[in-house]
Amino acid sequence: MKLEKLIGGSNERNEQAIEELLRRSHRRLDHALKAMRRPEAAVGVVNSSLGDLLVALSERGIVLVHYLLGGDDLESAIAKLRLALDLVEDRSKIKEVGAEIRSYLAGDADALRRDADLTLAPTPFQKKILHKLQEVPRGAVVSYQALGAAAGAPKGARAVGNALHNNPVPIYVPCHRVIASDGGLGGYGGGIARKLSLLRSEGFALGKTDEKLPDSVVWGHKGTRIFCRSTCHTTARVDRTKIMFFADPGEARQAGLRPCKICRP
Amino acid sequence: MASPKLQLPLPFEQILRRYEREIMRYLLRASGDRDDAADLFQETWLRAYRAYPRLEAHREIRPWLYAIAVNLCRNRARDGARRMRVIVADNQQNSAAERARKTHPSHNENEGYAKVRLGELLSTLPEKQREALQLRYFGGLDYPEIAEIMKCSQPAARANVSQALRKLKTLW
Repeated sequence: MKLEKLIGGSNERNEQAIEELLRRSHRRLDHALKAMRRPEAAVGVVNSSLGDLLVALSERGIVLVHYLLGGDDLESAIAKLRLALDLVEDRSKIKEVGAEIRSYLAGDADALRRDADLTLAPTPFQKKILHKLQEVPRGAVVSYQALGAAAGAPKGARAVGNALHNNPVPIYVPCHRVIASDGGLGGYGGGIARKLSLLRSEGFALGKTDEKLPDSVVWGHKGTRIFCRSTCHTTARVDRTKIMFFADPGEARQAGLRPCKICRP
Repeated sequence: MASPKLQLPLPFEQILRRYEREIMRYLLRASGDRDDAADLFQETWLRAYRAYPRLEAHREIRPWLYAIAVNLCRNRARDGARRMRVIVADNQQNSAAERARKTHPSHNENEGYAKVRLGELLSTLPEKQREALQLRYFGGLDYPEIAEIMKCSQPAARANVSQALRKLKTLW
């Protein structure tokens, strides 16, 4: 038999053997792959008043909301996301998420119906911070310090900042509701303008260039369940790790607090 | 402003379906043994799945898959050689090379025997030449692909294949 013919083409018997081998291998391979599968997630780009958002949705909820800042941001975000998840396209589901986000930003308080899936939070501590943060209601903000204290790390304001920086699901996990202890607005992953417009949509009377919370906010105390005007003299010596700021007295009442009898907000 | 166009990587299942047949064909011919081929096939795809997220978007999938398969074949051949060294006694070493040197008058007629003989001859080739030859003739890849898989230049890939072929012809 000629050498060229032998190493060149494949013959029919070989092809039969291949089919047979493939049949045998499929089940074994499926079984082995199942054990190492990455979770699946639908991804898509969503338009909103905050600009374009890359959104990923797993079986358990929203895994990722990412502000697209232009350039090759989308490619690098996808490349990073692929490491943890198997990405699939599912336009209808992503459309629903887009509608949720848009109507939330337009002022519908109950629009965000899906849960956040914190799979992509890097550490257990950060996951805990983000869990705790979900207890801060719409229309309220807390300080980094207070959030740290609530999660059992009263000296961990910086660590809280890191956790929020790594928040994989902004908007759904409301990291825009965290500010500096002195009432300054702090920073935001998507830029301070987005933080401002989110807080505005949640009822805070903020201008486009404000750097501090307005004086109209009331201070709510988590321990006493009392809320005061920001000008009340009691606020001067209060334990700030227990304070939550509300956009107006109505929001504070809704959260189950009673007005202070001294400043009568 | 138009929203950016989302370009998702191919789903892994699609890659599997598209390339499984040719990968299996390659592995079967390169290893010459069905059980070995089945094992290598499994390992190739598991590795591919694990590494797939790290494959950059602009890279070609086919050479990347073959590179995994080739590396696995090479590892398996080395392990095999190591095991052989332990078992085979001193006076039987190099038996593959010796057998390859002997001439066999009957392989011109007998197809089954010709295959065995080809396997023997291939095992005497240097690793690079053997792999290049197998990729070219068993896998049917072109030279740019072979160069990418073997991390060498195209002329080097070409040279490896032609030298391998020449050696085989002199021994045949």
